[in-house]
Amino acid sequence: MHILLAEDDTETARFIAEGLTALGHQVTHVATGPLALQAASDATFDAVILDRMLPGLDGLEVLRQLRAVPNRVPVLVLTALGGIADRVDGLDAGADDYLVKPFAFVELAARLNALARRVPGPEQTTRIEIGEIALDLLRREVTRCGKPVHLQPREFALLEQLMRQAGRVVTRTMFLENVWGFHFDPQTNIVESHLSRLRTKLREGFSDDPIETIRGSGYRIRTDA
Amino acid sequence: MRKPRASAAYRIAFTYSAAFTLAILLLGVAIYIAADAQFRRQQDAALVDEASALAHEYNEGDLPEIRHAIARREGSNTINAYGYALFDRTGHRVGGGLNTRKPPVGLQDIVFVDPVEGADHARAYATDLTRGLRLVVARDSESLEGIDQTIVLIFGGAFVLVIGLSVFGALLLGGYLQRRLDGISGVARAIMAGDMAQRVPLSDRRDEFDAVGSALNTMLDRIGQLMDNLRQVSSDVAHDLRTPLLRLRNQLEQVGQVPGAAERAIEQGDAVLALFAALLRIAEVEGGALARSFVATDMTLVVTEIAESYAPAFADSGRTLGWSVAPGITVLGDRELIAQALINLLDNALLHTPPGTPVAVSLEADAHVATVSVADAGPGVPPGDHARILQRFARGEASRTTPGNGLGLSLVAAVTAAHGGTIAVDDNRPGLRVTLRIPRVDAA
Repeated sequence: MHILLAEDDTETARFIAEGLTALGHQVTHVATGPLALQAASDATFDAVILDRMLPGLDGLEVLRQLRAVPNRVPVLVLTALGGIADRVDGLDAGADDYLVKPFAFVELAARLNALARRVPGPEQTTRIEIGEIALDLLRREVTRCGKPVHLQPREFALLEQLMRQAGRVVTRTMFLENVWGFHFDPQTNIVESHLSRLRTKLREGFSDDPIETIRGSGYRIRTDA
Repeated sequence: MRKPRASAAYRIAFTYSAAFTLAILLLGVAIYIAADAQFRRQQDAALVDEASALAHEYNEGDLPEIRHAIARREGSNTINAYGYALFDRTGHRVGGGLNTRKPPVGLQDIVFVDPVEGADHARAYATDLTRGLRLVVARDSESLEGIDQTIVLIFGGAFVLVIGLSVFGALLLGGYLQRRLDGISGVARAIMAGDMAQRVPLSDRRDEFDAVGSALNTMLDRIGQLMDNLRQVSSDVAHDLRTPLLRLRNQLEQVGQVPGAAERAIEQGDAVLALFAALLRIAEVEGGALARSFVATDMTLVVTEIAESYAPAFADSGRTLGWSVAPGITVLGDRELIAQALINLLDNALLHTPPGTPVAVSLEADAHVATVSVADAGPGVPPGDHARILQRFARGEASRTTPGNGLGLSLVAAVTAAHGGTIAVDDNRPGLRVTLRIPRVDAA
């Protein structure tokens, strides 16, 4: 992927750029608001990482001007401000995702993947099939090899997240945001306990687990299952 | 010490005494005018009476008889205050010792010649008798002026005394007020200089100054408590951070030597970050700015969601979670904050009870207040610790060894307060029950 990184803090920028390069991405780094706006207008990027506080032009203002063009490039806003009101401001300005510093690199990488590969209009899909598993979004039904699997609403929502991000990692906080609508991290294992039930139900009558745990990052659905 | 001129205490005292002095002065002038007028009226009446008496007595008599009567009266010691004169038609004085010219009939001020003092003023009454005679009765004005002078003298003396007393009183009152106020400002200055132990001295009189002083002392006690609290929190933060940072350092030392050390170091780092996140979250909630974004929030939905989401975690650990949720209860608030408060309460129930413990969540409401409670049948907390466990970093003795940072309930308390509610910690007999009461609103 070709990623535009707009971040004025040299240390943070180096840490992100090195990490993304190591994952095989191509990174263009700018350190000011006007340069970020110019770079995003001049070239086509798969995703933009935009720091909220940029010299010259505020990150949110860059975002507003981009969206006014309109430029629909996926944008992930980074911020040191974790308040509820700040997050709402960011999403109002047109951010696709919002990540509060300090964050784990795996979290950034997972969210970037989820954003950049978001195919326009997947929400209209009524059926997702990955390997042996099929998800009917209208009837809220799941089958594995044609055999029905009965899931609770939250288990279904977890599986839907995993299948929409087939082959990519979904982190714990992504589950919390998308399934529960929580933008904070409860210190207990509600994600784990629901996932464990989901896995047990999917595995019933089969020998293998279609969901992989990626240690230190999150979960991924196997595309070969 | 302020100069008396700049002192409100002295200004008030002197204004008061000036007003008092002015009132006395006005009173004195009024008394003087009234007394003077009254004396003049009485004198005039006496003159008329005397003239009438003489006229009545001798109206039918001969001139020599009248002259004789006048001479007798002039000679008498008792009524020698009067002077008499008798004039004939031509204006010649034909009787009496009053040396003056023939005046017109009626009351008037006249000039006469005193044998000793020369020309002098007198008050006189003239009336016509028979046979063209005119009788004049007069009284020297000196006597009235003497009375007036006496009044002015007495009053003047009294007035000087009053001014003296009121200035003295004002100095005394001003000094007293200033001394009482200096007591308070002296304490304030000492506290500014760093001596937080200073308190406003109180008298036994329990007056307004004591009431102000007592209120200030209570305020200072409260500030002192808050400062102690802050100091405690700062040292607790330092202490609670040192332990995980030390573990992190040790884990980092083992990276490359012990398998899994890097992952454990990352987990340890996350724990430190979570501690900071919790502290910042509490500060954000306590800051109060969030209330602006509060909206009508369906409590029934939030409580049901959280209970349903937590049921598997409880079941996995061998505990049971039961819930009874009344329908259609709405409060003004933030869904995520309320959810986080509930989650913290349920986390506590998971962390601090043995497996197999039943835990119950309930939501009920009366007309005004929604009541959420989380009750467990675990070991509970000693009643003496019920208030303390709501404070930051407070941990029951029994939970020293279990995970947690002692911030969970502080956040619950902060969230409840931000929603205008109250939090109560009770004995569930057995176990612990935490109850949140939050004002209801009509569903939007």
